[in-house]
Amino acid sequence: MREFQGCPGSRTVDFRENEVQAEAPAAKVQSQLRQWPIQLHLVSPAAPYYQGADVLLTADCVAYALGNYHNDYLKGKSLAIACPKLDEGQNIYVEKIKSWLEDAKINTLTVLIMQVPCCMGLVQLAKQALESSKRKVPLKAVVVGLQGQILSEDWI
Amino acid sequence: METYLNTPIKEVISKFPKVGEILEEYEIGCVPCTVGSCLLKDIIEIHNLSEEDEQEVLVRVAKVIYPDRNIKIPKIERKAKTRSKEIRYSPPMKKLVDEHVLIQRWIALIPQVLEHLDVESPEDLKIISEGADFIRSYADKFHHAKEEDILFKYFDENLDVLKTMLEDHTKGRGHVKALIEAVEKKDKKGIVEHLNAYRELLTEHIKKEDEILYPWMDRNLSVKEVGELFSKFNDVDEISGNGVTERCRAFVIKVEEKVQTPKKEVRP
Repeated sequence: MREFQGCPGSRTVDFRENEVQAEAPAAKVQSQLRQWPIQLHLVSPAAPYYQGADVLLTADCVAYALGNYHNDYLKGKSLAIACPKLDEGQNIYVEKIKSWLEDAKINTLTVLIMQVPCCMGLVQLAKQALESSKRKVPLKAVVVGLQGQILSEDWI
Repeated sequence: METYLNTPIKEVISKFPKVGEILEEYEIGCVPCTVGSCLLKDIIEIHNLSEEDEQEVLVRVAKVIYPDRNIKIPKIERKAKTRSKEIRYSPPMKKLVDEHVLIQRWIALIPQVLEHLDVESPEDLKIISEGADFIRSYADKFHHAKEEDILFKYFDENLDVLKTMLEDHTKGRGHVKALIEAVEKKDKKGIVEHLNAYRELLTEHIKKEDEILYPWMDRNLSVKEVGELFSKFNDVDEISGNGVTERCRAFVIKVEEKVQTPKKEVRP
């Protein structure tokens, strides 16, 4: 399956031999997205959909790997997406997450990341914001495997 | 070594290129990465090496970084192991488990307190009365009230598991009532009987909650409900918790110090 070794975050991996011809779903999967924008630099913590919400902070790659992302995780939650490896200005991310906690008074924060080590940076940003915030909320980290399997799901 | 475990891998490799070569031997390919922001410890952990390989790679890396020193190799925390051995509670459940710790500290002292109990000693009776106040104020009104008034409302209260817990609470209240009556009558037998019964009841009760009830509840609560519970528990802590917790912690510390200090005189 591996074509060459390298950083797990960027090395080439080919899953085609594992491809399963799954039966088509009975109906089209309905999008559970309730807002726009979604990129963390573009969203405002003051937006109405964040007030008192259960917020999902998703690493960019997750929604492509996790087959049932909309129904299993996004449903009923407000969203922001980010990449801890490539995005600039991550200090702004920490301030925005802190503002969700203190100003938007969110109910919970769930961080969905890929299994690659660089993705752990997104959980670290959330932890950093939580530690610096006067108001605390439950923080959950969900780690998704490269082929969409849930590797761990833990409250932090 | 800790410093380098918490350093981004690119910094480590640029300072010690040999580290990159060692990692490659274990199929950890950080050298070509252009970002390299992952911490060395995260890289070791996430690759889930066998314990032997992990120790081997860390020893080799340590020898590169500190060629002239014998370095103690720290253990990297592994998610897979902690998941299988430890119960990981949600934050509101963790609050309840932490409250159990103070209750357990008091009930662990009960045998020693009873062993030296002299019902003619106002000091000894004061400890029993304060112990009853601890149970009523902290274990019952503060802790059990969080369960009965908030947590259990998220579940069907007709469930057997919840009925059993509520029954334990009721039995505990009965023992404390009888204990207070025994203190008023200076009835040593009654004090010993009801305080011991309470200790046995709560020891089992806490074990059931920590190991069975709370993990089961965590599996059944939604993320939204976990957030609500956390917020409601915080409200209780703010309104009534701080004074009670401080007073009860002070009581436990006082009794711990007392039972560790042998009595100077033995009454006839």
